Amino acid sequence: MKTLRLMTVGGVIAYRALFNWTRPSIFIGTLLVGPLFQLLFFAYLGRQLQVADDRFYLVGNAVLTATLAGVFGGTLAVGNERRYGTLGHVLLSPRSRTVVFLGRALPYAGNGLLIAAFTLSVSALLLGLRIPLPALPGLVLAMATGSLACSFFGLTLGALGLRFRDVWVISNVAVALLMLLTGVNVPSAGLPGWMVAIGNYLPITHAAEAARRFAGGASLAEAGPEVAREALIGLGYAVLAAALLKIFELESRRTASLETL
Amino acid sequence: MLLLGTLMHVKQISRSPFEVAIAMVVPIVQATLAVYLFRSGGEQHRLIEAAVGAGLMGVWSSVLFGSGGAIQNQRWQGTLEMIMLAPRRPVLVILPITVATGLTGAYSLLATLAWGRLLYGIRLDFAHPAAFVAAAVVCVVALGMFGLLLASTFVLMRNANALTNALEYPIWLVSGMLVPITVLPAWTGPIAAVLPTTWGARALREATTGGPVWPSAGICLAISLVCLTLGGFAMTYVERRARAAATLALA
Repeated sequence: MKTLRLMTVGGVIAYRALFNWTRPSIFIGTLLVGPLFQLLFFAYLGRQLQVADDRFYLVGNAVLTATLAGVFGGTLAVGNERRYGTLGHVLLSPRSRTVVFLGRALPYAGNGLLIAAFTLSVSALLLGLRIPLPALPGLVLAMATGSLACSFFGLTLGALGLRFRDVWVISNVAVALLMLLTGVNVPSAGLPGWMVAIGNYLPITHAAEAARRFAGGASLAEAGPEVAREALIGLGYAVLAAALLKIFELESRRTASLETL
Repeated sequence: MLLLGTLMHVKQISRSPFEVAIAMVVPIVQATLAVYLFRSGGEQHRLIEAAVGAGLMGVWSSVLFGSGGAIQNQRWQGTLEMIMLAPRRPVLVILPITVATGLTGAYSLLATLAWGRLLYGIRLDFAHPAAFVAAAVVCVVALGMFGLLLASTFVLMRNANALTNALEYPIWLVSGMLVPITVLPAWTGPIAAVLPTTWGARALREATTGGPVWPSAGICLAISLVCLTLGGFAMTYVERRARAAATLALA
């Protein structure tokens, strides 16, 4: 119970600290308006090229928009501690740092779900996509799983911030690569095999596929395996993030490079 | 002074691994995405447009984030007071920074064209090669002038970052850098018509595929000159206001 409290309350406090620095306009501009236009950009591009229908682009890109909160949030969760000189205090804590940092990913997952739901709702209204009501629980499940997997992926990248000087290059490039490799914008058939293979081990790929199936009227039994794959990938990144955080923490202590930027 | 200032800021930005990586790697990823999309849509003959469009998207990102944050960056570096103390008009001090962001943004265009040629064998058969170079120069300089307007207006806003982050995709979309304006709703037409990015993108596209380049390049330059004038007035106003209120160094 104490671990669960540390994970959730600690995560929420860290998330609030991030946004207490700014005003709601940052949240609205960066995490709602920006992703909405990202979705519209690809939806119109897809319409013009007639690669796939609106459902393909709207649902897939809505799931993809969670990457903004997940990837950058996960990076910030670790990177900002180092940048503002508070990393030492966190690492001095007598509690498990693995739990502390994994807890940081949870609010970003919730944030990602909010962004995905917002962008899908608004874009469906703007572009006239009809989503059957019975599909909504499945869509929320797929988006939530994708957001969580993405947050752990972001935390993995954030862990690299303990070792590498400029983690922002990695996170910016990662977000761009997710657009390409997850098959959200180009159907798998149009991508080279090696890109599809990499995409299969990235977050969002399976969540987007599951969400499309749910939106197309598939049942949980039909779309469930994709959700399960996404959850498994999320779990894999959580384990990887925890391992990297542990290794880099020990390495930073050994070389006394904890606060070195 | 403009030339030396621009050169200095280009050098400074080019020494940042982050700026260079973002200016080159992200547009290449976007160009790859565009190529596979165009191929999937059976538009193989338009791959060069995808490379040019993705490169131009990179130029806009560089100008938006570089110019939008030009004043704030100087403030964070602690150099804003010093450059504002220079016995020159503020516009002459800030314009080199915003033009430099356009010039470093041109790395994106070069990167996507080189990537397209080397990796995907896209033949760089421009309909008007000389006009393409001229249009690219006009585009970069024009966006630099547009950047001055962004820099001066964003400094008045406490949370300009919110607007910066929200403006990247809308301008890509409305300006027709990759998506033709004709597929967008009609109400976006007037917005597109007053943006220098629209005419810059059009000039580059016409130089690539054929068409009257110079009218588009001319309109792009004319709109940018208006932006420069407005940005100049705004910059003087901002500077006077900041001096009077003693808030120049305050975020």
